Amino acid sequence: MFKKFCLEEISSQNQVKASVQRRIRQSIHDEYPGLETVVEDLLPKKSPLIVVKCPNHLTLVVVNSVPLFFCIRDGPYMPTLRLLHQYPNIMKRFQVDRGAIKFVLSGANIMCPGLTSPGGVLDEEVEAERPVAIYAEGKQHALAIGFTKMSAKDIKSINKGIGVDTMHYLNDGLWKMERLD
Amino acid sequence: MAEKLEPAKVLYCGVCSLPAEYCEFGPDFGRCKPWLIENAPDLYPDLLKEANEKGADKVSDQLQSVGISSGGADGAQSSAQTGGTSKKEEVKRLPGGKLKKKERQEVIIEKVVRNKRKCITIVKGLELFGIKLSDASKKLGKKFATGASVVKGPTEKEQIDVQGDIIYDIVEFITDTWPDVPERSIFFIEDGKKVQAG
Repeated sequence: MFKKFCLEEISSQNQVKASVQRRIRQSIHDEYPGLETVVEDLLPKKSPLIVVKCPNHLTLVVVNSVPLFFCIRDGPYMPTLRLLHQYPNIMKRFQVDRGAIKFVLSGANIMCPGLTSPGGVLDEEVEAERPVAIYAEGKQHALAIGFTKMSAKDIKSINKGIGVDTMHYLNDGLWKMERLD
Repeated sequence: MAEKLEPAKVLYCGVCSLPAEYCEFGPDFGRCKPWLIENAPDLYPDLLKEANEKGADKVSDQLQSVGISSGGADGAQSSAQTGGTSKKEEVKRLPGGKLKKKERQEVIIEKVVRNKRKCITIVKGLELFGIKLSDASKKLGKKFATGASVVKGPTEKEQIDVQGDIIYDIVEFITDTWPDVPERSIFFIEDGKKVQAG
């Protein structure tokens, strides 16, 4: 998704009106109940909230020129990895085995066997089409953010093909864009 | 209300910006190593050991060299080391660890006919000589009294489109305004073939 991503790709950035801000805040709030207590710090009501639109129906939510959330089409808002690292418990976790790290970090989607093997961990409650955080065997921090293609149960039973679409991973274009001016 | 979450502190590598534990999978683990040894020695115990061994080797080497030819060899060694590091930095890297190919510096001029009797002259590659395309297009437009604009060409490269057929004296103009551009690196495209100008 963000394999190649740079400032040039931004097609428009606006400070959005209050009602849209409220909607964004509400949907983030609904998606990540764990963030409830810090939402006020992250998206302060006072400072302007900027929505950056990019090609491929991609939207970024930027506060104080730091990208915090992104979403695709009308999909759920997903935190950027830097944000997720700060609040690791807000998302459901999947864990891939060590062998997969290399591939995920070059942008590959996550295949079922990498999640079901001994090094992988699945959160059984996760449905299809949900955002998840991807962790790695033996590592403390998340290495990617994905969007499940099938539910965790299916991943376990089918055990073939793409289980999670990788949206955002370490060292991709969005990661490198620490600040956005 | 639940207790307020405190943002967790994550150690990011100062070299490659990844969380330190992912450096080993990063684009350039080799260059991260010194930083890691200094800032996160407990993450990579092997690395520290390796470094220690190396350090020990070096010390013993130095001791030997001092033993053989006191002092002189030492200075030579250190100068050789600094030379090596500066060379390393010159090589620019693309994401993915691939080496960046240096592009040949040349200006390519092409004429495209539109509407049968009108044409556009396309100038590619001026940026390789460190020329600002927006300035260049302004100058071209002024000189030939036509519209000239910077356009994104195929493969995401920027080029200058100048309205009208100005091939006849664009070469002279380019070499006059930008002495950095030698005449032999300007090429025309004629019938799909590259032809040297001049």
